[in-house]
Amino acid sequence: MYLAIKEMKHAKLRYSLIMFMIVLISYLIFVLTGLAYGLSESNRQAIDSWQADAIVLNSDADSHLSQSVITKNQLAKLKSDDRLAQLGELGVTARDPKGHKKVSSELLGISKNQFIYQQLTTISGRKFNSQHEAVVDKSMYDSGYRLGDEIYLSSDSPAYKIVGFTKDAKLSVAPVIYTSLSDWRDIKFGATSDGQVSAVLLKKNQLNQKADDLDQLTTEEFINKLPGYRAQNLTFGFMIAFLMLITLIIIAIFLYILTMQKLPYFAVLKAQGISTKYLVKNTVGQSILVTVSGVLVGGGITVLTAIGLPPAVPITFNYPLLAGAACLLVVMSVIGALIPARTIVKVDPVSMIGGN
Amino acid sequence: MHAIEMKHIIKSFGKGIGKVSALNDINFHADYGQLIAIVGPSGSGKSTFLAIAGGLLTPSSGEMMIENQTYHNSSAKDREQVRLNKIGFILQSYNLIPYLTVEEQFRLVDKVKRTPNLNPEHVQQIEKQLGIDDLRKKYPDELSGGQRQRVAVARALYADPKVILADEPTASLDSDRAFEVMRLFKELAHTTNKAIIVVTHDRRLAQFTDQIYEITDGRIQQLESA
Repeated sequence: MYLAIKEMKHAKLRYSLIMFMIVLISYLIFVLTGLAYGLSESNRQAIDSWQADAIVLNSDADSHLSQSVITKNQLAKLKSDDRLAQLGELGVTARDPKGHKKVSSELLGISKNQFIYQQLTTISGRKFNSQHEAVVDKSMYDSGYRLGDEIYLSSDSPAYKIVGFTKDAKLSVAPVIYTSLSDWRDIKFGATSDGQVSAVLLKKNQLNQKADDLDQLTTEEFINKLPGYRAQNLTFGFMIAFLMLITLIIIAIFLYILTMQKLPYFAVLKAQGISTKYLVKNTVGQSILVTVSGVLVGGGITVLTAIGLPPAVPITFNYPLLAGAACLLVVMSVIGALIPARTIVKVDPVSMIGGN
Repeated sequence: MHAIEMKHIIKSFGKGIGKVSALNDINFHADYGQLIAIVGPSGSGKSTFLAIAGGLLTPSSGEMMIENQTYHNSSAKDREQVRLNKIGFILQSYNLIPYLTVEEQFRLVDKVKRTPNLNPEHVQQIEKQLGIDDLRKKYPDELSGGQRQRVAVARALYADPKVILADEPTASLDSDRAFEVMRLFKELAHTTNKAIIVVTHDRRLAQFTDQIYEITDGRIQQLESA
């Protein structure tokens, strides 16, 4: 590493430029990874919090929760079991009595006797336990709602009282409002309410009883079929993968040019008995040093960005994931350095004899 | 014991009709404290001679020894070690790493060579002898051509090799500087007891050497001593 460090100190501008490129790329990768993870989480947080293994939907719903209605008769085909939890879903616009704080939300009706309610935890307040009470996602707090506030979920529904805030409760990027199944039915069906639900969640990945008009999906299958979820993850995945590839290409080209300029010196060093391994190690070491420094600065800027971003931005910095992306960048830098390293292996010290 | 010795060295390149014989039955030795010049026209085989002497090329046949130890058939790694420990190379150009100061050029040798190099007092003495003792903090691009070659000589001596092989070390220097470098080689060969072999096309430099050999069409012959 002696040669590597000395050269970097001597050619500060040259190496600062490549480091600056790595800073920008790593920053972009970190932000995109944060956005990808944040959006992914915003889609699936609530589902993950239920810790269910499978979901049963009406077979006509094409695996979409919002399209699914399971009737009382269909429900009767499923044996009652404490590993089942009924769920009602309705997209609503929550508003305060004055109509100033409108929030597009997911209203979820759950039963007090089943596992979703039992697993529900609040970060402030309590769980709902009577009619017209609701537990809402903490992002509603950022929208101006407080414990005890009244909230309207449809134009003709009565006021609901916020009795608790819960965390990690977003579904399809909208905050979740938990209320009882009966309240949900009142809002969704009104007078035609007749014991329907949107879905049934299963703790065990097995229906108690087969039903022709019901579909069962694993939780992961269900999540992957959330509208836009897969397309969004693929888009971010491709962007991150291309940035990784760009990093590899930038490092490879940069080091290749530098290595070509240094080949006569490498040839002389080899003639003087300095091993090829030592010279390759220095080149790879340079690449790692530049990348690690760039990634650290990029990481620092990412942390500052995270502090400065408003809560509305769906970005979540999962540090193990970011560390993984950083490691992948370093791996790319090593691969990028091995490309010019081939020319070091090939350079023949004999070429320097005879004044060539 | 000779510092370096070649016995019946033959080197040819290519095969069949395209076969070119670069060195034919070369017998040569250099002793400690000798400055030897190898002269010859372009294409005579001087470079091949130097490359085989330095372990950069392996001969087609024959025996190559340094301090009675054969190394013509050693592995590439072992030959690397021989070059690092027993041979000092001085080339026409690119001898010095541009991003290392003069003293860092020496430190690089410390970093890669496990056996000890010259002690600080000895280094100071050689630096004074070469007139580069006030250039330790300078980068190669801050030195003149003559200073650069003198630093290259010091760099080659630093690893305390038994043999120094110099390839056209004066080619990029004017006559005065070239003679100065040759005088230096002669002095170093005698005071440090090393075998110094200089390959050159400049016959004027013969006056400074103890022995002079000429290579013509791959054959070597000793000329009358200077």
